[in-house]
Amino acid sequence: MFGYVRPALDKLDGENREKFQAAYCGLCHTLGRRYGLPARLFLNYDLAFLAMLLGKTCCQSPKHCVVHPIRKRPCACRSAALDAAADYSVILVWWQLQDGIADHGFWGGLKYRAASLLLRRAYRRARGNRPEFDGDTQALLARLSELERENCPIPDQPADCFARLLVRTAQGESDPERRRVLEHLLYHLGRWIYLVDAADDIKKDLRRGNYNPLALRFPHRDGVWTEESRLRLGQTLDQSIRQMASAFELADFGDYSDVIRSVVYEGLYLVGAAVLDGTFRQREKREKR
Amino acid sequence: MRDPYQVLGVSSSATDEEVKKAYRTLARKYHPDNYHDNPLADLAQERMKEINEAYETIQAQRKNHGSAYQGYQQGGSSGYSYGGSYGGAYGAYGTDSGYQRIRMAIQQGDLNLAEELLNARSDHDGEWYYLKGVVCYRRGWMDEAHRYYETAVQMNPDNAEYRHALDVMEGRQSAYQPDGYRAMTTAGCGSNTISRICGTLLCINCLTGGGWYCCC
Repeated sequence: MFGYVRPALDKLDGENREKFQAAYCGLCHTLGRRYGLPARLFLNYDLAFLAMLLGKTCCQSPKHCVVHPIRKRPCACRSAALDAAADYSVILVWWQLQDGIADHGFWGGLKYRAASLLLRRAYRRARGNRPEFDGDTQALLARLSELERENCPIPDQPADCFARLLVRTAQGESDPERRRVLEHLLYHLGRWIYLVDAADDIKKDLRRGNYNPLALRFPHRDGVWTEESRLRLGQTLDQSIRQMASAFELADFGDYSDVIRSVVYEGLYLVGAAVLDGTFRQREKREKR
Repeated sequence: MRDPYQVLGVSSSATDEEVKKAYRTLARKYHPDNYHDNPLADLAQERMKEINEAYETIQAQRKNHGSAYQGYQQGGSSGYSYGGSYGGAYGAYGTDSGYQRIRMAIQQGDLNLAEELLNARSDHDGEWYYLKGVVCYRRGWMDEAHRYYETAVQMNPDNAEYRHALDVMEGRQSAYQPDGYRAMTTAGCGSNTISRICGTLLCINCLTGGGWYCCC
């Protein structure tokens, strides 16, 4: 989960931008309340989007926080969905850090070890709250590392592991029909995030000799996609976005409907396009200069 | 049954034209083409049925209430009439009973059985590749599905079903867009897209994702 999920700017009015922001701040406050300050550092857009999918209602109250000390910001109130999203967030980030430690050598892994030290207490508490989700996450990420070791050339396979992991976050939904819809949406959200992340990392992975399923599957020149590959990769991303949109139309997403609509009908296309032509990462831009 | 006006999302004082417009929009949204081979197709079908019934009920009600609504002579057929093509027309292919069984399994959602039966076959013709593609598509393995569909079309270029699947995969079939949105593709977005993405919110650097967000 790296913060790829964004709404389209021009499709949201002030009220809806505020809702998006409130969900983000609400998740941040929930992380703080349940897990302390360190957990708040790991928050990102993808996790805020997850919170919006899981919770339909958006009651807001203005709040101060560390990063907004002077002006109060609208902030989503306490809810079971935010609590759940916070628990899942901590567990997901923790296992991603462990994966980072395993993937890197001593020096490269320092950053991950430091972060994981910071998050340890929070993780233990989250594991206590959601033992089942923790077990599932561990198993699916272990399968993912196995595929990485085997140098699996089929991107759908590792993407499936990550996708199924996100599907597990719908387990708290009691309405079976809504749960089915959520699971389908989350599967393709997970698939999309995994593939976009792999596309975004291609240059870094090639430099370090890391596994990258897309580099094995689609022709490229030094990490720059050929036109044919860009088209093909775009098509496979489009498919997942369409599946998300088709699921979105089949359930009620309450107050967050407009925000989610702008994500699944426009935002994800724009992010995917920026990733594929290398303009998404400002950091990379800096490196080029 | 729910209030038909509520189903269509209009007030009971809406004009015939407004009712018709609301109906058409919803019908486009839940059109079978948008849910072809989609695991949620049954839900879309239910929704479609509900919308059709609501529309017909409103028309019948208005017809019975005097002559003010005489403009509505076409009855339920004025809008869209959809067959049951949500799950795809499985079972219609050829005479090979093996493939018929596989199509049946796919239709019933038993993808493991379908895959097992497919893997047990040694003759890999167009139909085999197509059905492999459908199984992948249903699972969400879109890139694999794409590859299988492509091979199926190469082997049987005249088969309309295979071609349709490939067209959907390559974005040549128009999909539903809500009001205010236009049809998009990732590869067709062009450059300078980043400025159109919402990124105005946060200030905390994310350790795992790289701390590049800007403060605002």
